[in-house]
Amino acid sequence: MVTCLGDMFYPEVGEKIVRLLRALSVVVEFPAGQTCCGLPLFNSGYHTDAAAVARRTVALFKDAEAVVVPSGSCAWMVKHEYPGLMTDPHDRAAAERLAGRTHELSQFLVKKLGRRRFRSAVAGRVTYHDSCHLLRGLHESESPRTLLRGLAGAEFVELPGGDECCGFGGSFSVRLPEVSTAILDKKLANVEATGADCVVACDAGCLMQMRGGLSRRGSRVRALHLAEVLGEPQ
Amino acid sequence: MSEAPPATPLRERAGRALKDTFLQEALTIATTKFIDLRREAFDEFPEGEALRDRARAIKEATLQGLDHYLGLLIDNVERRGGHVHYATTAEEARQIVLDIARSTDARMAVKSKSMATEEIHLNSALEAAGVTPVETDLGEYIIQLAHERPSHIIAPAIHKTKGQVAELFARELKRETVPDPEVLTRIARAELREKFLQADIGISGANFGVAETGTIVLVTNEGNGRMVTSLPRVHVAVMGVEKVIPSMTDLAVFLAILAKSATGQKLSVYTSLVNGPRRGGELEGPEEFHLVLLDNGRIRQIAGPLREALYCLRCGACLNVCPVYRQIGGHAYGYTYPGPIGILLTAMLNGPESVKDLAHASSLCGACADACPVRIDIPKMLIELRRDVGERRIAPWPERVVFGGFGRLLQRPALYRLAARTGRVLQRPFVSRGAIRRLPLFFGDWTRTRDLPPIAARTFQERWADLEREGHR
Amino acid sequence: MTTRAEFLGRIRTQMGRTPGLFPAEPSARPARPRERLEVLRRELSERWRENLERFRHEFERVGGVLHRVTDAAEAPGAIARIAAERGLHRVVAWHGDALGLDVAAPLTARGLEATAAPAVEVPVAERERRRALAAAADLGVTGVDLAIAETGTLVVISGAGRPRSASLLPACHVAVFDRDALVESLLHAGLALEAWHEGTPPEGRGASINFITGPSRTADIELTLTRGVHGPKEVHAVFVERGLVRRHG
Repeated sequence: MVTCLGDMFYPEVGEKIVRLLRALSVVVEFPAGQTCCGLPLFNSGYHTDAAAVARRTVALFKDAEAVVVPSGSCAWMVKHEYPGLMTDPHDRAAAERLAGRTHELSQFLVKKLGRRRFRSAVAGRVTYHDSCHLLRGLHESESPRTLLRGLAGAEFVELPGGDECCGFGGSFSVRLPEVSTAILDKKLANVEATGADCVVACDAGCLMQMRGGLSRRGSRVRALHLAEVLGEPQ
Repeated sequence: MSEAPPATPLRERAGRALKDTFLQEALTIATTKFIDLRREAFDEFPEGEALRDRARAIKEATLQGLDHYLGLLIDNVERRGGHVHYATTAEEARQIVLDIARSTDARMAVKSKSMATEEIHLNSALEAAGVTPVETDLGEYIIQLAHERPSHIIAPAIHKTKGQVAELFARELKRETVPDPEVLTRIARAELREKFLQADIGISGANFGVAETGTIVLVTNEGNGRMVTSLPRVHVAVMGVEKVIPSMTDLAVFLAILAKSATGQKLSVYTSLVNGPRRGGELEGPEEFHLVLLDNGRIRQIAGPLREALYCLRCGACLNVCPVYRQIGGHAYGYTYPGPIGILLTAMLNGPESVKDLAHASSLCGACADACPVRIDIPKMLIELRRDVGERRIAPWPERVVFGGFGRLLQRPALYRLAARTGRVLQRPFVSRGAIRRLPLFFGDWTRTRDLPPIAARTFQERWADLEREGHR
Repeated sequence: MTTRAEFLGRIRTQMGRTPGLFPAEPSARPARPRERLEVLRRELSERWRENLERFRHEFERVGGVLHRVTDAAEAPGAIARIAAERGLHRVVAWHGDALGLDVAAPLTARGLEATAAPAVEVPVAERERRRALAAAADLGVTGVDLAIAETGTLVVISGAGRPRSASLLPACHVAVFDRDALVESLLHAGLALEAWHEGTPPEGRGASINFITGPSRTADIELTLTRGVHGPKEVHAVFVERGLVRRHG
């Protein structure tokens, strides 16, 4: 699942993931006609439309053995919210099947494939921002860290307040932009204080927010997706 | 409808708060401290997680038997010589308290901290009826002198500097003083000691009402709760119906996690159990004890979408961890209860329209649900409130048009891909050095402070054909 | 005005509309709490030394000061020393039966102004006089019904001869206790609360129970901790090793 943000704005991340999975001998398929998991509709309360999008998505992936998602929030939406959105019991069963087969990228690499060590595609110091849906929705804080600590050629440092929100929150970022920015500023101050060369996240929304702020302030720190720092498997 | 909506829009109130440098600093220091204290307390308390589950179960079980438990509480309070009153609305609650004050010829009331009495705007009603209300919790005392409302559920004056407090005391109490918390506390102690001893009526809230025994429980740190419930000749406790719990065994579970969640203390300094009026042989204690049971929107939620919010212990843990509260503070929310739980409580008391903007004062990060001692799923209910507003057509029509369009787009992949291609063309004038730095209209809300990536020259879907070929080689 | 029937009726109606969110039970309660408490006390009496040590640690952590004396006769001396060190003179105390020792006479003999609360009901004018005495006192002496080791908490039940003001109005509170009061945890305290409320209350039982965990405090001004806001600024506990003989409680 490439996700809407991934498809439109970060296609290179999608490409990296495909190549990475192939390097790990995974056969990668891409069902055509993907749009979005429906999370933005869901979060803003448009549940009828969100349910329609969910049904569509479930149908698109019905033959997949495993679905890898580069964003924690989209993976959460599929695993956590899809079944509840379905009123029809058949739809619900199909959604539950999909939920069981869906994995966020770091979870897939570490827990499903058992791969922990990669060459680092970046040099220097790397820190990690826990995206809210991955951390609290999917209870996942270890897999990304396992991968980042295992990077050959880069140094990992913990981010103080790493578990604090970056301020994206979907439409929140434009409904209350000043508050969203104030939260972001706090996050970026923490990032810069680590002396890291890049901050890694497993969510396109967080990346859009953090990269947008870093770029605006002319920072030399880069905000990268996990897939962008994973080089050759070791 | 309990409270009048604020005069200015949320975004403006938030903006003001963001520009208030002292508030920003105070919020950061206070919330960070509370977060650290809470974390330390639970780190050295491994039984805590299981007790949180227990506490949540007790709250749910109580709601499932609410009529029974309230009936027991009422019977037991009356058996001990107390009087019970039933307030369906805030107005009725105020009236009940005023009637009690009138029937006992009260001139001055000392109050210990009670969000329930804030919620029903009791103080102004007392004043209008010629009864002087004196807040005795130091933080509440300060904001009362300042004619403000609390900005945090448990630390109401957190937004004030010691300098501001000193000025306030100088102005309102006519006492020259220094901006030293020790000195200021001593002044408040002396001023309020007089009031405790002279007051005709003591008004409190209740953290718990134990059904099996008819006991009202107050959790405090300063001692004012004890004074208010022991010294004046009449004691009135205003209690939301959801505060009832079945037994003393249940009470111990809540006591084990409440203070830890709020301030990191193992227990607050005073946990006061009130078993009705003074008994024979006691030197102190009220001659009359009144319990006012408050509905004010709670009862409707027993079968409503906000039922889980009835578990709330009013500990403030969710405020401390909320990225939005931490930036804008309590007053910007505009209603009695701020923070994540505050949005839900505001909807409960005033209806879903009252939170059509507030329901979006959240990035849905979930830190609140994590911190909540009774594990209330606040984000889930915020989304329900948004749904209420969105699907019930209370949201402004431009938003409904945008989301409606978006919804249709996501179900039509061809249209979706066309939108990407169109966007790519339309964005050209705005792209410079690989980023979009300025956009017109409401899109500017992003670009005023952040860059935006442009839609890629080739989306992932457009690259897939090549990637697929690459895989077959 | 809403009646009980209307109020509870509305609640019942709403309850009828939903089964609730998940199956849930309140806490299981002990069938005979008074008996269980006795059994618990016997068990705990074997571990009183450890529990006292734990109590001391937690009590000091919240700002309390623990003193130890061997027998009850030495307690007034300890109290007098606390008073002398702080230049305190006026003492109000629980009645001797409630404390398990007489403090008023020995303290008066040492030059302090000490009064003990009456053990019986007195008219309102006398109650007011006593309240003024307590308000003017600088040290209050009480007994302890439960000392919770886990949290460093003193639990006091009010009643005849056991005024609430003694642990509330004077700036210094001294609590006298022995090993019988010691329990380990809040769970034990829950059991005690069940036991105390079982059946009819004994003669002289009051309407207030207080858990006291250290001196009165606030951090309402800039989160700076200050003590002695409304309640006592200092809390002392005097442990009597050979025990106290108390009547009622």
